[in-house]
Amino acid sequence: MMDIKILGGGCAKCERLEAVTRAVVEELGIDATFTKVKSMPEIMAYDVMTTPALVVDEKVLSSGRIPNQAEIKAWLVGDM
Amino acid sequence: MNITAFIVDLLQSGFGGLGAYLAAHVLLCLLPAFLIAGALAALMPKEAITRYLGRDANKWVSYPASALGGFLLAVCSCTIMPLFASIYKKGAGLGPAITFLFVGPAVNILAISFTGVQIGLDIALARIILSITFGILIGLLMAWFFRKDDQEHAENTANNHLFAGKAKIPTHTVIFFLLLLGALLAGTLQIGILRNVFVSFSLTSPWAVELQALLHRLIPPDPGMGIESITVQGIFLIVLLVLIALAALRGFKDIYNGLNTWTLITLGLMTLTLIFAALAVVVDADGLTIGINGRLVAIIVLSAAIWWMSARYFSPEEQQEWLWETWRFVKQIFPLLLVGVFVASIARTLIPAAWIQTLAGSNTVWANFSAVVFGVFMYFPTLVEVPVAQTFLALGMHRGPLLAYLLADPELSVQSILITNTVIGKKKTAVYVVMVAIFSTLSGLIFGWFIR
Repeated sequence: MMDIKILGGGCAKCERLEAVTRAVVEELGIDATFTKVKSMPEIMAYDVMTTPALVVDEKVLSSGRIPNQAEIKAWLVGDM
Repeated sequence: MNITAFIVDLLQSGFGGLGAYLAAHVLLCLLPAFLIAGALAALMPKEAITRYLGRDANKWVSYPASALGGFLLAVCSCTIMPLFASIYKKGAGLGPAITFLFVGPAVNILAISFTGVQIGLDIALARIILSITFGILIGLLMAWFFRKDDQEHAENTANNHLFAGKAKIPTHTVIFFLLLLGALLAGTLQIGILRNVFVSFSLTSPWAVELQALLHRLIPPDPGMGIESITVQGIFLIVLLVLIALAALRGFKDIYNGLNTWTLITLGLMTLTLIFAALAVVVDADGLTIGINGRLVAIIVLSAAIWWMSARYFSPEEQQEWLWETWRFVKQIFPLLLVGVFVASIARTLIPAAWIQTLAGSNTVWANFSAVVFGVFMYFPTLVEVPVAQTFLALGMHRGPLLAYLLADPELSVQSILITNTVIGKKKTAVYVVMVAIFSTLSGLIFGWFIR
């Protein structure tokens, strides 16, 4: 089970990131849980300065931008 | 007065304000400003600034860098809070974090250019200079008040790599920003070289004369109340704006799947609108006189350069992100702004000028402080503070208290106070809020005294 977290206060960008990631997960047929982390102290614990950030299995993969599908796919495939 | 006449009066005032905004001012200022805000959010490497905000950064570097960061990075609330929290907890500390938090909402590119066009260049410049000065001052004072907490902070930030990025802003990005800024200035500055018409030709067009007369009847101009009528050029611009909005709905919504025909149509319409808005169109007794001025030439050259650069130097992903961010700002801000302008224009006829003049008609401490308190408790969405301020101005508010209001309104709202509270705690937030109130009042007083 892959543990995917989206860090960010719920702005349009965070929703965009979640949508893109969900699309990749669905395409690859990965079994994953999605969690939205909205509280600032929890976000800070991941050492990110900018949101939205994508965290997979407690590892920060991107922050401050929305990676494209190909990038996310490469990360998730490498992680499986 | 009977009730129908009263309602007609209100609606005329509301639509008059709305029409004047859309047609006369908004385009040449807001269209480029939204593109710049989008570009800052999408193309600006944040590490280029955050590298100066690490724990070991010298004060002489970290405070100005925070102020600059507030200006360049804080175009979106998704950026402000996380950056503020990391500068505070893991980077340069409380002082620079507070400077960043203070400067951001007051000096972003949208607010400044809009203020400049609607209220006046003096207030826009004062907003920049006083925000940066007082932002740094409040940061320094906060750091001094809470200097004991620094010890704990130093332990928290041992061996931190968050701020170690070495990114620089690429040269082509800098040039691109300068071109965008150039388009904004060329569209808005009221100077001779841009305004003067050097070639003009007249068209006999009775329809234009009739249309103008009709527009005057619908929305009678009232210079005393600051209500302008809508011009023939304005009506064409409003139609173009509606077309842009329709095309953008299809062209920008799915931009992450690539640029499509509708995207290109939207961008083409935007360029056309800017060019058309730059023309000097006058309707007189016989018809239209269309004048070619410096503004038109500047806008054509700059738009060509901007589109050429964005196609040549930026990757498709960067182009998409830029347009997506721009569209996001427009969607988020513009509808609320239209409602705000409409309501503020109606309020202009409802609020007795005597109230405003008694309360804030002159530059006193009390007047400035009332303006600040009003700004804190009335929460207006981004940019709506500007038409509200314009209404106050028309009703006789002094420019000093007006500036105090414009500083306090975006800076402090009940909502932002609550969020700040979760990051730095109750005591520090309370001190911060009090200081912002004091310094905003002072800013108004100083500015009011300065322009007297």
